[in-house]
Amino acid sequence: MSAVIDGFAVVLEPTNLLYCLVGVVIGMLIGVLPGLGPAATIAILLPVTFGMEPVTAVIMLAGIFYGAQYGGTITSVLLRLPGEASSVVTVFDGYALARQGRAGAALGIAAIGSFVGGTLSIVALTFVAPIVAGFALDFGPPEYTLLALLGIMLVATISSGGRIRALAAAGVGLLLATVGRDDFTSAERFTLGNLSLADGIDFVPIAMGLFGLGEILYNLEERHRAVQPPAKVTGVWPSRADLRQSSGAIGRGSVIGFVLGILPGGGAVLSSLAAYALEKRRSKHPERFGQGAIEGVAAPETANNAATTSSFIPLLSLGIPANATMAVIFGALLIQGVTPGPQLVTEHPELFWGVVNSMYIGNVLLLIMSIPLLGVFVRILRVRATVLAPITVLITLVGAYTVNNSVFDIGLVIGFGVLGYLMKKAGFDPGPMVLAFVLGSLLETSLRRSLLLFDGDPTGFVTRPISGTLFAMFLAVVLLPLAGTLLRRRRPAPTAGGEVAAHPEADRPTDTAQTQTGSMEPGPTVNESAENRPADSQQMKSGLVAGKPVSQSPSSTGPADAQVGSMAERPGESPSRNPNSETKEPE
Amino acid sequence: MKITLPALGLAGLLLLTGCGGNLDSDGDSGSTAAYPERAVTLLVGQDAGGSTDLIGRALADPASKDLGQPITVQNKPGANGAVAAKELAAAKADGYTVMVFVGSLAYITPLAVPADQAVDINNYEVVTGISQDDFVLIANPQTGFKTVQDIVAAKRPIKFATTGVGTGSQLTQTLLFAQAGVDATAVPFNGGAPALTAVLGGQVDVAAVQLGEAKEQIEAGKAVPIVTFATQRPSYMPDTPTATEAGFQVPVQQSRAIVAPKGTPKEAVDRLRTAFQKGFADQAYKDFNTKRLLTANEVDGTALLQQWNGSLQTYRDLVAQHKIDLTAK
Repeated sequence: MSAVIDGFAVVLEPTNLLYCLVGVVIGMLIGVLPGLGPAATIAILLPVTFGMEPVTAVIMLAGIFYGAQYGGTITSVLLRLPGEASSVVTVFDGYALARQGRAGAALGIAAIGSFVGGTLSIVALTFVAPIVAGFALDFGPPEYTLLALLGIMLVATISSGGRIRALAAAGVGLLLATVGRDDFTSAERFTLGNLSLADGIDFVPIAMGLFGLGEILYNLEERHRAVQPPAKVTGVWPSRADLRQSSGAIGRGSVIGFVLGILPGGGAVLSSLAAYALEKRRSKHPERFGQGAIEGVAAPETANNAATTSSFIPLLSLGIPANATMAVIFGALLIQGVTPGPQLVTEHPELFWGVVNSMYIGNVLLLIMSIPLLGVFVRILRVRATVLAPITVLITLVGAYTVNNSVFDIGLVIGFGVLGYLMKKAGFDPGPMVLAFVLGSLLETSLRRSLLLFDGDPTGFVTRPISGTLFAMFLAVVLLPLAGTLLRRRRPAPTAGGEVAAHPEADRPTDTAQTQTGSMEPGPTVNESAENRPADSQQMKSGLVAGKPVSQSPSSTGPADAQVGSMAERPGESPSRNPNSETKEPE
Repeated sequence: MKITLPALGLAGLLLLTGCGGNLDSDGDSGSTAAYPERAVTLLVGQDAGGSTDLIGRALADPASKDLGQPITVQNKPGANGAVAAKELAAAKADGYTVMVFVGSLAYITPLAVPADQAVDINNYEVVTGISQDDFVLIANPQTGFKTVQDIVAAKRPIKFATTGVGTGSQLTQTLLFAQAGVDATAVPFNGGAPALTAVLGGQVDVAAVQLGEAKEQIEAGKAVPIVTFATQRPSYMPDTPTATEAGFQVPVQQSRAIVAPKGTPKEAVDRLRTAFQKGFADQAYKDFNTKRLLTANEVDGTALLQQWNGSLQTYRDLVAQHKIDLTAK
C-alpha cells in the first residue's frame, strides 16, 4: 500500500504534473482532429520522450491516450465526425442532441461519464491489476473468434438503418477486410498488384472517407434544407433530469468498459458498442435512441474511457499491449530501458503506481478543462458550412496522409467518401460497414488460427470453457429471437411457451427501436399516426423486419429532419411499404 | 474558425518532432564537399514503435549530429518493408533518401512470396550494416519441454506460433522441426507480442521470437528457453544452447542495414557511413543496443551484401533440401 502512496508523491512532482497536463491537452486536441489517433500522435512524439524520465514520459503518453477519448466526443457530437473509432456510436445520439440545441448537455454528460468511468476504472485497476494477470491469457484465438462474431451481431443491433441493410453493409465491411496479403499463406487478395494494398486497407481512410468526407458531400447536397446550427448553446451542464437519466448508463458503462478494456483487441471500440447496445435494450423507450437519448451518449463515452484505462492492465501487469496505442507506449518504455512484463510492479513500483495515479489527476484536469473548452468547441457549430467544410476536408486529408505518409491513403479517403455519399443516398448506414471492417480481420485470422489449433475440428469452440460460454451468448443473441420469429409466424397468436415466451422482451426493444428510429421525434410529429402503432406491434411479432413501414420520412422536411441525429433516416431511406407484408422478410 | 486551434497545435507537434534535437549543426560538417546541404530522410518500412523503428530513431539522432543536418525518420509501413523499399528504389539517388532495411525482407520473404514481389538487395547501395537480433525458441512451462530432445521424445504433434508468414520466426521453427522430424503445425500471428502471448496462454506449445521480446517472460519463469538460433551463444543468454549445438543447422537472424538507392554518389555513401559510424560510437546508442539485446553488425556494404546473399542461398538450399514450402500453412 505504501507503494501506492509513493506513487502519488511521484505524480505530484511539478514536472510530472506539467507533463500530465501537456499530455491531456494534446490528447484532447488530437481527439478533436479526426484521423490523427493517439497511436500515431504518440509515435510522432516518441523522440520528444527520449530525454525524459520514464515515469514522466509514460504519464504524458498515457494522458494523450485517455485525453483523446474526451476529445473524440466533441467532433462526434458537434460535427458528426467521430474523432476516434471508439466515439463512433456517440455520433448516433450526440449529434441528434446537438441538432436539438443540446450539444452542451451531450458534451457535459460525456465529460462526466468519461470522468466517472475513467476514475472507477483506475480504482479497479489499482486493485485488480495484480490479480488479473492469469485471466487475459485465457483468451486465445477461439475466444477472439466468438468475441468478433458477437461484435458484428451487435453492430447489426445498434444500427439505425434497418437490420437487413445493416447486415448488408457489414457484409461489405467484412469483404473489405479481406483485402491484402493473406496472413497465413501470403497469397495476394484483391490487391490488384498494388503494394500499398498488400497489408490491406487501413481503418483510418475508410472511417475518414465514409464518415467524414461522405457526410460533407451529402451535406453539400442537402444544404437547401440545412438548419442553422444552434446559435446559442444553453446548458453546458446537463440538467438534473439528464443526470438522473444517465446515472444507470454511466454505472453500467463503467463496468462494461473496464471488463472489455482488459481484453486485448479493440477494447474501447467494442465496449462503446456494447454499452450503447445494452442501454438500448434495457430502455423502456428504445425508440428514443438515435433521436437524442442522453444515455446514448453517456453509456459509450463512459465505457470507452473506462476501457482506455483498463487497457493498461495487460500492458502493466503482463507486458502485453492490448491495442495499437499500448504497443507504441510499450515501445516508449523499451526506449527508456524498462521492459513491461510481469515483474514491472515489483521492479519499477514508482513507474507503475506513478502512471496509474497520474490518471486520477489527468481525469480531474480533463473534467476541469472540458468546461471552459466546451464553449470554445461549441462555437465551431456557428461557423458556416462553406467555411467549415473545406477546412474539415483539408484536415481530414492531411490527417489521412500523416498516418502512413501515404498519398495512396488520400485517394482511398476520397474513394470511400464518394462511396459513403452514395450509401447515404441509398439509405445505407456506413456505421456497420466500418465496424465490421474493424472486426473482420480479427474474425478471420482468429477463426483460421483456431481451426489450426483444433486440427480443423470446429467442436473446439464449444468445449473450451470461455469460448463455449461466448458461443452460448452468441446463440442467445442471434438465433433465439429468430427461432421465436419463425414459431410465431407459424402460429399467429403469440402463445408459444418456453423459451420463446422469454424472448418477446428480448427482441421487442430492438425491433421497436429500429422501427422507431425512422420516426422523427418522440411525440406527435407529422405522420406518427395511429396506423403506425399496429404496424409496430405487427413487426414485433414478425421479428426481423428489414425496412421501416413508418412512412413519415418524405413528408418530414425542414426542422424535423434536422432533428434526426443518426445516419438512419433521410428521405428515401425508408421505403414505405405495407407494414403487414411479410414477403420481404428474411428467412 | 476555432478549428484552426487544433490544426495549429498539430503543426506545432509536427515541427517539434520533425526537427527535435537534430538541429545542432556544430558537427564536423563541411569536410566533404557540399553534401549534405539539407535534411536526410530515413525511411522505415515498419510501424512506429516497432524494433526497426526504434533502431532507426536511436541511430538517427547521434548520426545527424555528425552529419550536421537533421535525419528525419519517416515510417512507410507495409509488406514487411517492401512498400518502403519500392519507394526507396524510385527515390532520387542523391544521398538524401536512405532506409533502414530489414534483412528478412532480403533473405526470407523471397522464399514466401511470388518472385515478382521479392525484393533484391543487390538493386540497392548498402551504406552500412547496423545490428542483429537473435531468435529464441520458447516453450510454455506446462509442456515440460526444456530441450529439442524433449519435444522429439514427446512423440506428439505440436503447434508452434510464428510472428507471420515469411519471417525468421517461421523459417527457424519450420527448419528445426523438419530436421528433428517433429510433426508440427505453424500458427501465424501478427508480430512478436501476440505470438508470445499464445505461448504464455498455452494456446500453442512453442514459439520463436526475438530475444528482447522474450527476455522478461523468460526471467519471470513464464517461458522456458529451448534453443537460440544464433551462430554462437548470445552474451545475454549464456545458458541456452544454440540450435547448432543441439545438432541442427538453423542459423537464422534478423539483421538490419542502412541502404540507399542504387547509383547514389560514392561521396554521399561514404559521408553517410562516417556519420553512422559516429552514431554507433555514441554511448546512448550503445546503451540502447544493450537494453534491446542487439548484437552490433556494423560492417560495410560489401560485407553485408555477402552476409545477406549468403543467407538467402543457404535458406534456399535448406528449404529445398527439406522440401519445405513457406507459403503453405
